[in-house]
Amino acid sequence: MGERWDGPKPLIGFIVGNEQTDDQISAEPKIKKLEPVLLPGEIVVNEVNFVRKCIATDTSQYDLWGKLICSNFKISFITDDPMPLQKFHYRNLLLGEHDVPLTCIEQIVTVNDHKRKQKVLGPNQKLKFNPTELIIYCKDFRIVRFRFDESGPESAKKVCLAIAHYSQPTDLQLLFAFEYVGKKYHNSASNMNGVPCESGGGGVSGPGAGSSQKTPLFETYSDWDREVKRTGASGWRVCSVNEGYMVSTCLPEYFVVPSSLADQDLKIFSHSFVGRRIPLWCWSHSNGSALVRMALIKDVLQQRKIDQRICNAITKSHPQRSDVYKSDLDKTLPNIQEIQAAFVKLKQLCVNEPFEETEEKWLSSLESTRWLEYVRAFLKHSAELVYMLESKHLSVVLQEEEGRDLSCSVASLVQVMLDPYFRTITGFQSLIQKEWVMSGYQFLDRCNHLKRSEKESPLFLLFLDATWQLLEQYPAAFEFSETYLAVLYDSTRISLFGTFLFNSPHQRVKQSTEFAISKNIQLGDEKGLKFPSVWDWSLQFTARERALFHNPVYIGKSTPCLQSSSMKSFRRTKKSYSSTLRAVPSSFRNGVLSDPELLPRRNSLVLKPKPDPQQQADGRGGDAEQYFRDWFSRPCDLHGVILPRLSAAHIKLWKLCYFRWVPEAQISLGGFITAFRKLSLLADEVDALSRTLRQQRGGALDAGCAEPAQSRMYFRAGGPQAHAAGTPEFLSSSFPFSPVGNLCRRSILGTPLSKFLSGAKIWLSTETLANED
Amino acid sequence: MGVNLSSMRRLRKRLPLSRQVPRLPPSRVSSMASASAPKCNSHTSENEPVKSTSQDGVNCDLNETVPRLPGETLITDKEVIYICPFNGPIKGRVYITNYRLYLRSLETDSTLIFDVPLGVISRIEKMGGATSRGENSYGLDITCKDMRNLRFALKQEGHSRRDMFEILTRYAFPLAHSLPLFAFLNEEKFNVDGWMVYNPVEEYRRQGLPNHQWRITFINKCYELCETYPALLVVPYRASDDDLRRVAAFRSRNRIPVLSWIHPENKMVIVRCSQPLVGMSGKRNKDDEKYLDVIRETNRQLSKLTIYDARPSVNAVANKATGGGYESDDAYHNAELFFLDIHNIHVMRESLKKVKDIVYPNVEESHWLSSLESTHWLEHIKLVLTGAIQVADKVSSGKSSVLVHCSDGWDRTAQLTSLAMLMLDSFYRSIEGFEILVQKEWISFGHKFASRIGHGDKNHADADRSPIFLQFVDCVWQMSKQFPTAFEFNERFLITILDHLYSCRFGTFLLNCESAREKQKVTERTVSLWSLINSNKEKFKNPFYTKEINRVLYPVASMRHLELWVNYYIRWNPRIKQQQPNAVEQRYMELLALRDDYIKRLEELQLANSSKVSSASTSPSSPSQMMPHVQTHF
Repeated sequence: MGERWDGPKPLIGFIVGNEQTDDQISAEPKIKKLEPVLLPGEIVVNEVNFVRKCIATDTSQYDLWGKLICSNFKISFITDDPMPLQKFHYRNLLLGEHDVPLTCIEQIVTVNDHKRKQKVLGPNQKLKFNPTELIIYCKDFRIVRFRFDESGPESAKKVCLAIAHYSQPTDLQLLFAFEYVGKKYHNSASNMNGVPCESGGGGVSGPGAGSSQKTPLFETYSDWDREVKRTGASGWRVCSVNEGYMVSTCLPEYFVVPSSLADQDLKIFSHSFVGRRIPLWCWSHSNGSALVRMALIKDVLQQRKIDQRICNAITKSHPQRSDVYKSDLDKTLPNIQEIQAAFVKLKQLCVNEPFEETEEKWLSSLESTRWLEYVRAFLKHSAELVYMLESKHLSVVLQEEEGRDLSCSVASLVQVMLDPYFRTITGFQSLIQKEWVMSGYQFLDRCNHLKRSEKESPLFLLFLDATWQLLEQYPAAFEFSETYLAVLYDSTRISLFGTFLFNSPHQRVKQSTEFAISKNIQLGDEKGLKFPSVWDWSLQFTARERALFHNPVYIGKSTPCLQSSSMKSFRRTKKSYSSTLRAVPSSFRNGVLSDPELLPRRNSLVLKPKPDPQQQADGRGGDAEQYFRDWFSRPCDLHGVILPRLSAAHIKLWKLCYFRWVPEAQISLGGFITAFRKLSLLADEVDALSRTLRQQRGGALDAGCAEPAQSRMYFRAGGPQAHAAGTPEFLSSSFPFSPVGNLCRRSILGTPLSKFLSGAKIWLSTETLANED
Repeated sequence: MGVNLSSMRRLRKRLPLSRQVPRLPPSRVSSMASASAPKCNSHTSENEPVKSTSQDGVNCDLNETVPRLPGETLITDKEVIYICPFNGPIKGRVYITNYRLYLRSLETDSTLIFDVPLGVISRIEKMGGATSRGENSYGLDITCKDMRNLRFALKQEGHSRRDMFEILTRYAFPLAHSLPLFAFLNEEKFNVDGWMVYNPVEEYRRQGLPNHQWRITFINKCYELCETYPALLVVPYRASDDDLRRVAAFRSRNRIPVLSWIHPENKMVIVRCSQPLVGMSGKRNKDDEKYLDVIRETNRQLSKLTIYDARPSVNAVANKATGGGYESDDAYHNAELFFLDIHNIHVMRESLKKVKDIVYPNVEESHWLSSLESTHWLEHIKLVLTGAIQVADKVSSGKSSVLVHCSDGWDRTAQLTSLAMLMLDSFYRSIEGFEILVQKEWISFGHKFASRIGHGDKNHADADRSPIFLQFVDCVWQMSKQFPTAFEFNERFLITILDHLYSCRFGTFLLNCESAREKQKVTERTVSLWSLINSNKEKFKNPFYTKEINRVLYPVASMRHLELWVNYYIRWNPRIKQQQPNAVEQRYMELLALRDDYIKRLEELQLANSSKVSSASTSPSSPSQMMPHVQTHF
């Protein structure tokens, strides 16, 4: 990041200890200057020299020497040693390859192997021994290990305590994003790094991607209004009752409600809902059915009446006055604690337990985590709601106690399945803004940025995983790649972006206003500080690297396709509404409509607790079953509805996400990425040809508007080794991530057969060590 | 498909619905109708001849009711009710020829068709008796070798079941009735002769053999040294034919160590054989010991020879009781022996049976992963792959030459050598290379296809049957999943091979060994499966294939990556069937077509422009300036 913050004094000469004869490191003393790269507002709080970063447990021959620092943003290991065996590094502009953001730290374990002691470090704790070793368990499944054999015992201890302290802050305003954004505001006058960052949406993708439009953040009236128009929702209006968060502090300032409900009614009703959460409109089908999310009505006496009023209003907003179908998510889906428990087990299984020992019972262990079962339950339930909206023409109301957890996932999945717009990068991001960020998903608590673990739950990851299942089943239906989803998941752990930092939009405004006042920052007209948005991907990746977000298989609406012998570009006229959704076969539509008996009656609609989610889709009698069968028997329209295949054999583990840091699980020179690369090369070539063709056709006429010949593909046809026969060395099933540098349990250089070495010194023995206090 | 549909409609006119058949409840009918469209695919194996009439040489005359191969004759047809495990009873007509069982539904809206070569039938049982009551309880139950069962209900009157049972039994198990297998009646003609694909001399020459250390011997020309080995063998130059004869006496069924593959650079070799006849008394044989030492010395390395005994050590010990055993340390000083823990044919058979239990007819949904684990199928796959990786790694790293055996050296040994060769030698990853690999390591070296598959044999419970070759193909599929660009062939190629492993349409997999095939003149009297495949190669090509020479493939043999081959094992279940063809492959093909189209248009434009430009002066976007941006793959 360009300008370096006024960091600490660069380090004294750094001499490699030459006692480490077994390390095959040159015994000659080397003198290096090791300086951390710091962001604006980032300060080094502690550091220690002569640290060894362990690369493998059974040998120290690949270990790296360097300096370990703890800043208020990250822990950073600075070394001049090249990373051994690593063939590729996917560079994040904010983080070096050995850096871990503080918010990504899950657990800190210090060990003294002479005294045979270990301790898990909490904040403000004392450490009675001098650690010889530090193991950091990261939330993104990495495990990093440092040894302090050659470092000053006191400084080693201090760094460990500093990391423990700074990674477990007591207050939200201590998260780095505040410092960073505060510095930006301060510097805006001296114009160090330009003006305070623009409000979020950021260029989504590289040039030439055709999606340079910004991601709607749904912070404004107009974003909601556009969404209402885009979906063609009549009978719904944007309301401003919550301006200044006057009604609810966990709702956005603007949201969409049935036109028939007046602001005054809403204000009255709001008192009866948990969190004063008035029902929120999410989306409307072209047939007029709406998707709505709603918190529970806590006022028992009023319950029936208000419920009736809301349902009537939703019915009124339906062009066919169709009924409302209510889905009680709390009764249907696993709760957030169960999901968290599943995730903990999954993580334990994937990265913590010894690779070889988990092999024999891998499948049943995976099953007993219940993670895949839960992913499937969410997909299944969402698919059933798609049926209600699409086939039964019913408006669907998602009910949940607070309406800000399971509802986020289900509402998002339903929309991903129904609306191809949400399968584009911009659309997907807008969906996350709409259903998660603005609707009050409690990122702060669920991601546990402040380490108050009891509220932690990986619902957002579960949603990304479910999306991945759809991507896996319909690879041509999504504009983004699985790399994009994994990077997005990682980005929730970088406490620089405002996107995933807060429990609600109101919290951002409130906290940052307080912060601004305490720091003397003039906010002017702004409502709180403008934090950088995660959607501004250029903060993290160069345009070239962002190209990996693009799925070369994607068949967008403007993607040229070959039709019979002649080539046509299906560039449809831009409508305010995604036109393909209207393409439901009319007979189908009418067929269902003409059968009034199939429509459930109002007020008798609360779902019974559902049968075992493991049963095949026979939930609501044969009709849903029939709908799914019909759907699967037709060729799939990628610009229309997509439904997940839900057999247990179809729900898979998202290997890229969960195995990318496990060296033993890496298929070198293999994995889907090798096919992805071939596709990219070809797609790139086709793009280049099409550009040339257009330019030639247009001749002098269009010469002015010729697009820059920039590719949207990461792997380019013109690239250096593009046409060399071989698969590039750096490709592996972990690509673009690399497990090198993450602790593994056997020699990485070993032959593919090298057995698990039990000689691993400390690693294995930690369990037998006495736990201090 | 069009042909089938139209002929069906005609058929329906001719065959009025029988009144005796109980009508299905309306909901059933409609659900069937809607689900029927994909059904016909799901029941017709992808690779069956029905759809591809011209290329496969199938005669599907419009006047015919059933597709027929040249040499195929219709024996009978019967009205039946097919008890579909997914959609309930479907009324249909079944046609039985000397090659296939062909069923067409007679339901108004249903287009169910399936086409089953009689060769896949493992067992035919009568269900229900004269006293049977209840709907559709009287009929036939057919167990197939390809992970499905077929059940037909028949009318009790008119002996229709007895007729059908007898005819099916006769033609599904011709060997029990002194009838020839269909392959010997098949008169299909292809423009490529698959029997020409494998020529051992040529294949050894490709490997650089003979050389100074290894020679080709014709000692087994008349299969006198070893009945189950091929005529042509590669042995150490320094071992005389007499030496070989003495070694043969000490190896089970005379299957002596011979070369399978040699590394082009380091000259390490993979050698295969059967177990030594050590017995309880721990017999030794100086000639065998010397012979192994000669093999070790062929590459002038001093490292020990590595022996991989594919069996679990317990089994190897137990084999001593029946005269077998393994190479002991004290007898073979210069060898190091490892057991690979791969279980025997009986364990594999039972394991696959369990797989069938959890996938057919319905997938065990509630505890899918633990059920899958309890079949141990993937665990076996893992052990086989792990063994092959070890062989490949030893050889490729130049650590030592490798000798592989199990008991008789025709099951696990074939799996290990062929998989290791597939990892080491990219040639075998091409379509023809793979055919050669199968032809060489499996067919010529006497994997007992006839016994393991039970071609035309009625003994369903034969303990000799075992899915060893299927397991090998599964391993290949696992590798192709991990390396999507490394193989020239696609999944369809593998499934086609497996379909014809059972079909008896081709001679390729018939009989147990080369000598038997020669006696029966199989290459003269039957057609090779490779004729079918090689005359229509495009269908079997993997679009992502990137030819790479000298790249060793090490798959990760971990449960984390091994998957059940859903498109094979669960292909009959319409709910499980995955998108066909694979969307990613399909997109790639579209892009290829698009590219060709663009190139054509560009060329046309340039032609047109150049005629214009030649008269006018240079334009900024002249074709010649733009063209350098255009990349072409080939």
